[in-house]
Amino acid sequence: PGMPQSPDAMAQQFGNMSLGGQPVQAAPPMQQPTAAHLNQLYPTDLISQPLNAAEVDQLPPLIHLPPNTSCTPSPHSNADPRYIRSTLNCVPTTHSLLKKSKLPFALVIQPYTSLHDSEDPVPVVPDQVISRCRRCRAYINPFVTFLDHGHRWRCNMCNLSNDVPQAFDWDAAAQKSRDRWQREELNFSCCEFVAPQEYMVRPPQPLVYLFLFDVSYAAVTNGLLATSARCILESLDRIPNADRRTRVGFMAVDSSLHYFSIPRDGSENNDPSMLVVSDLDEPFLPTPMDLLVNLSECRANVETFLEKLQSMFQDTPITASAMGSALRAGHKLVAPVGGKICVLSATLPNVGHGKLEMREDKKVLGTSGESKLLGTQNSFYKSFAVECSKNQVSIDMFLFSSQYQDVASLSNLPRYTGGQTYFYPGWNAARSEDAIKFAREFSDYLSSEIGLEAVLRVRATTGLRMSTFYGNFFNRSSDLCAFPAFPRDQAYVVEVAIDETITKPYVCLQAAVLHTTCNGERRIRVLTLALPTTESLANIYASADPAAITVYFSHKAVERVLGSGLDAARDALQAKIIEILQTYRKELAGGNMGGGGLQLPANLRPLVVMFLGLIKNVGLRKSAQIPSDLRSTALCLLSTLPLPLLIQYIYPKFYSLHDMPDNAGVPDPHTGEILLPPVTNLSSERIVPYGLYLIDDGVNQFLWIGRDAVPALLLDVFGTDDRTALKQGKTTMPVLDNEFNERVRAVIEKSKDHRAKGVGSIVVPTLYIIKEDGDPSLKLWAQTLLVEDRADQGVSLQQWMGMLREKVVQ
Amino acid sequence: MDYEGLKDQWSEIEERDGVRLSWNTFPSSRMEASRLVVPIGALYTPLKEKTDTPLLQYEPVSCKAPCRAVLNPFCQVDMRARLWICPFCLQRNALPPHYKDISQDAIPPELHPNSTTIEYRLARPAPSPPIFLFVVDTCQEEDSLKALKDSIIMSLSLLPPYALVGLITFGTMAQVHELGYTECAKSYVFRGSKDYTSKQVQEMLGLGQLGPRPNMQVQPGRPPMPAGAGARFLLPVSQCEFQLTNALEQLQKDPWPVANDKRALRCTGVALSVAVGLLETQFVNMGGRIMLFSGGPATEGPGMVVGPELREPIRSHHDIDRDNIKYYKKALKFYDTLAKRVSHNGHIVDIFAGCLDQVGLLEMKGLSNSTGGHMILTDSFTSSMYKQSFARVFNKDADDNLLMGFNASLEVLTTKELKVTGLIGHAVSMNKKSASVGETECGIGNTCSWKMCGIDPEASYGIYFEIASQGGPSQLQQGPQKGMMQFLTYYQHSAGQYHLRVTTVARNLSGPSGDPAIAQSFDQEAAAVLMSRIAVFKAEVDDGPDVLRWVDRMLIRLCSRFAEYRKDDPSSFRLEKNFTLYPQFMFHLRRSQFLQVFNNSPDETAFYRHVLNHEDVSNSLIMIQPTLDSYGFDHEGSTPVLLDSTSIQSETILLLDTFFHILIFHGETMAEWRKAGYQDQEGYDSFRTLLEAPKEDAKDLIQDRFPLPRFIVCDAGGSQARFLLSKLNPSTTHTTGSYGGVSQTAQTIFTDDVSLQTFMDHLMKLAVSGTG
Ligand SMILES: [Zn+2]
Ligand SMILES: [Zn+2]
Repeated sequence: PGMPQSPDAMAQQFGNMSLGGQPVQAAPPMQQPTAAHLNQLYPTDLISQPLNAAEVDQLPPLIHLPPNTSCTPSPHSNADPRYIRSTLNCVPTTHSLLKKSKLPFALVIQPYTSLHDSEDPVPVVPDQVISRCRRCRAYINPFVTFLDHGHRWRCNMCNLSNDVPQAFDWDAAAQKSRDRWQREELNFSCCEFVAPQEYMVRPPQPLVYLFLFDVSYAAVTNGLLATSARCILESLDRIPNADRRTRVGFMAVDSSLHYFSIPRDGSENNDPSMLVVSDLDEPFLPTPMDLLVNLSECRANVETFLEKLQSMFQDTPITASAMGSALRAGHKLVAPVGGKICVLSATLPNVGHGKLEMREDKKVLGTSGESKLLGTQNSFYKSFAVECSKNQVSIDMFLFSSQYQDVASLSNLPRYTGGQTYFYPGWNAARSEDAIKFAREFSDYLSSEIGLEAVLRVRATTGLRMSTFYGNFFNRSSDLCAFPAFPRDQAYVVEVAIDETITKPYVCLQAAVLHTTCNGERRIRVLTLALPTTESLANIYASADPAAITVYFSHKAVERVLGSGLDAARDALQAKIIEILQTYRKELAGGNMGGGGLQLPANLRPLVVMFLGLIKNVGLRKSAQIPSDLRSTALCLLSTLPLPLLIQYIYPKFYSLHDMPDNAGVPDPHTGEILLPPVTNLSSERIVPYGLYLIDDGVNQFLWIGRDAVPALLLDVFGTDDRTALKQGKTTMPVLDNEFNERVRAVIEKSKDHRAKGVGSIVVPTLYIIKEDGDPSLKLWAQTLLVEDRADQGVSLQQWMGMLREKVVQ
Repeated sequence: MDYEGLKDQWSEIEERDGVRLSWNTFPSSRMEASRLVVPIGALYTPLKEKTDTPLLQYEPVSCKAPCRAVLNPFCQVDMRARLWICPFCLQRNALPPHYKDISQDAIPPELHPNSTTIEYRLARPAPSPPIFLFVVDTCQEEDSLKALKDSIIMSLSLLPPYALVGLITFGTMAQVHELGYTECAKSYVFRGSKDYTSKQVQEMLGLGQLGPRPNMQVQPGRPPMPAGAGARFLLPVSQCEFQLTNALEQLQKDPWPVANDKRALRCTGVALSVAVGLLETQFVNMGGRIMLFSGGPATEGPGMVVGPELREPIRSHHDIDRDNIKYYKKALKFYDTLAKRVSHNGHIVDIFAGCLDQVGLLEMKGLSNSTGGHMILTDSFTSSMYKQSFARVFNKDADDNLLMGFNASLEVLTTKELKVTGLIGHAVSMNKKSASVGETECGIGNTCSWKMCGIDPEASYGIYFEIASQGGPSQLQQGPQKGMMQFLTYYQHSAGQYHLRVTTVARNLSGPSGDPAIAQSFDQEAAAVLMSRIAVFKAEVDDGPDVLRWVDRMLIRLCSRFAEYRKDDPSSFRLEKNFTLYPQFMFHLRRSQFLQVFNNSPDETAFYRHVLNHEDVSNSLIMIQPTLDSYGFDHEGSTPVLLDSTSIQSETILLLDTFFHILIFHGETMAEWRKAGYQDQEGYDSFRTLLEAPKEDAKDLIQDRFPLPRFIVCDAGGSQARFLLSKLNPSTTHTTGSYGGVSQTAQTIFTDDVSLQTFMDHLMKLAVSGTG
């Protein structure tokens, strides 16, 4: 687990399951599951045995199910942690025990691990035989039990026995009987069903992209318009369009709305025409035709348009943006079909619907008044987003302002529609790093195989209940999350309540994403997870997953910031870690103060530093220096990032490069993958003045050059031995013909490799060169990532531990 | 001088001055004037084309303020003292220094006795080249739209290259095309259902602020645009011909779907209001035409005249009569308000309708009426009637200048005996008070000055006067006393300069009470036209029957006053030669489409009345009493015949000219022969010639006519013949039977109208009874 599966590996696994041809009656014997061997509690002391950064990346505690819990012997029958992870890999049987543990019970669900199916295919049930429990509607899965000579199956969620569908053992394509035990849904915890007609409210809709370009002064002069137009132009082949139904539309926005009518290829007149609507009261469509066009049928003319677009607004003096009105208009255009609205803006929407004020005041930053800036300024952004969700319209925001843009308000649109907010502060196309970063990200964004008209539902064994959902979607009913478009680079957190005492030795949880693929197929992606139960607090602690717990509290903290403010969120985090430490000490360590006195089981050790990292993250830390747009952007990340990226964002990767081992930065002889140097604790104590380091939080990469770095090192890495000639800040690594330069570049590249992390993401981190003796503000910025240091108003790890110890002992 | 001699004289004056007066001798007392029944009036054609007199290239010499009368042949000039006496205010004025060489043998042209009308080209240049803003309805079938597009594209070649042009198209919504934008076709779209204010229009076109106002914070997003409307929406033809032609060629039928039971949504009101707003931004008082091409009624937004439901019919005269109309008043108010704005701005609105149904001319008429715009009512833009009429709008003079003037003002000055009471024609009041303004009001009154946003060489105005003086003529001057008027017409000439046309009219004042010179000076044709304009003016506000009663009453009173008769003896009734035709004119006026509206649609009525108010005496007379000519073997060429059913003979061809229609009617036998194809056979040359003759004559008639008349060729008994029958005096109706001594070959007209004979009988009876 934890490693991405290649298609070859998958095929091999299929092959290894040499159960084919056996009659149904010869099913594996169904024994009554017996109590499992659970994880052992390994007490440790954080003060006498300080945390090593490598521990942060440890695998989640193993899930020990009773033998024969799964109806097939498949090694993939229980959940792959890349897709679904529980904060507790051993579930308390009662609510009171859970409460006593002070630990949360929640799932971190990440239905997709890549932007494209081909990079990480999941098994697909080819026939449309979808067997579901009559009562709880759970999908048949590896943890059901077959009864009555295999004619019936017992639901592992609600215990109801259901008929096995007639065609369950029949291969319709080959017209012969099929070995049930090879069915994907009984072998794989993660699989996909092709949904028949009854899973559709209407025929599968085509993929629709409506681009809203800001064409006001800021967006034209910083090169956003030209860059995005060019990038779309060059990515047209990457936009999913296998069924040739994909539609695109374009609107430009300043103080007016500019619609573009694009004729079909080979028309009498192939030029686009621009229709300007300045009446912002209730935006309307100026024509019923050619505003949303079939990409295949209009390909040449779309290209013509995109080429022209770059110069269409080149002389604009207009500084206003009616983006709110444009969104309303865009919604009107897209709503009959549904789809993505992609906003590319460098301006605060300051006229028309959802008009926003420049409300940020530098003096307020760092005070209690700051939190208000993180809330929504205009109710339009919430109510409109909900309206969009209803009509299957999803919004993504690409924001580029060099001034206040109110990310806080604007990010509501993606938040409730399954979209994402991408912020590029101070972006300028004239800087090639900026242009390249955005172009690569945007191109990947366009290529991503998003789902459409999706809903997520999570079911579980009787007694468990999904109580709260976190992430970017609209919670349509108590247990149903709606996604007009389903992204492939986000994770969701679902809190689970224990309503009844659980008597079974294990419980099951099942997440199902019903969606339309961008090829026009209706599918259900089902993820099933089985977890053992326990009546022992020790078992709970021994199987708790610190990464999943951190993700849960990251979402909780964001919720707290938006609801009660930054101070409350930080205080709550601190109170929670104290509570956990106290509980462990009191209940499981027998109040033992031995060693340094701050004790946790081995598996939970990273939790303390993760909480510190969270509190010191740019989204949460106490500071008077953080523009609220940056904070809001961080809050978006803290509540959407897939687990591995979120953990990295909270506790960045820190590599020492000048002294990296010989095998680092070169391919592993077995896997061919580049090996990374060992990670280092995020502390300036680890920095030597002559060193070269990489600090990478997944958003930015800082290449740190010590003040005494020797010229030979500089020459090798940067091609110059004159440190004053080294450009600071955003940069691109020079490609030099020497081994060390190659290895450094390989490390920098590998550190960004999303596939290796088992996640899909479009983000290309920005590389900054930091000279220890250079620009102090850049240096300070990099240092804020050194979580274990004391910085700004944040405490050092040592202080943090000391403070925790004090509180825990009380 | 006998009547024929007087007629020649009047026609000579008309030729020279463009003026026909109802009375050519002015009564010298108010009492006398009141007994004339027909008011003193002038039908004046200010820009009547004149080729014989020079265009003066210098500034006119004017009397002191407030008089401002212009030096004219009726002024007394003291050559030695270089002084002139203004005949209007009797003030002395010095001649300007450059007149120092003036002498009896070297008088400036404006003092020449024949220079009663003279034109100056002023130093003042027009503030802008002429503007042509095309407002095109796209709710049309493809062929019709195509024809319309072609005609507009063609017109670009007729415009001077410096003329500014713009394009607005409309259907469900209105679009202003930014011709100055070259990256791609670009237009600004306005919702069809909303009443945009001028300010909104300007802001939405990005023309909000031209030059920042002091103390005005620059609004977010509305900084001053680098260039105004002139650089973006209205450009010289030479500069934007390609863009505009492209935009026109790309025009498609309005793309919004129309259900089977619905009319297309058409926001004519918004399109016009946006057009007016666009010109308001930067072109106030700069001559320009908004040319509306309408393919159907407005069904959307302000100014809608009928709902989109097809089952809801468009209003008729009956509906209006019964006050049973949903949109009429609101629409009328909307367009009238717009008309006020556009005329105030100095712009013209032309309406070209190409639709079998009505387009709402009734509601929109104020736009053209008050701005001097054209109204062309045709069945389709594919018709030659439309195409040729439209092309004629761009007729040019010998110097290749468009025959149209812009932004004109007509001021009337009078000597003290006369006061001006009003004007009827395509103009608006400039609300200028002067000593020349009378107490009563006839037409647009209470002013001595009117504005004509558009004026052309045919445009004629009825101007009405009253007599001010209570007593006899003043004794200060010797010789026959004269009453005088001076018409001063300033206008923007299409060549780019301002011009001033001055027409000075002087007529003798009558002698002591009962001077027969007054009756002898009666120009019955001019009088009939002037009275028709009053009648139509009244009909616009009063009930139809009231107007007819007024026409009758005035006629009876005129006859009572000027006929010779013995009281209560109708058989003794005699009229002087210069009065005899007047009752006939009135008879036909009563029966005309101008006053009998129920056989026409409200749009047609608006159209007919609009044209009547534009034409000179002879054209107006054709409209009031159409001409009928007969062609037969017994005579060479055409013979005028009575506009009477007795004129229909089986062996003749008739040519009817109602001004709006030209109709060739083949009598029964003629039709049979033609159908038999005799004209194509050898030996029947004379028949062939006879068939051709009316066609040739019709061509001549059509030659200069605007709008182009509808041309109808029909046979006796054919359905199209109804156009002829409706115009004929019903001397033989179904009520007279076929025995009343009337020729058996004459056509019987099925009508309840009274015949001319019956009408005259009544008239004589009433006139001699003294009850008028
Ligand atoms: Zn069930
Ligand atoms: Zn005077």
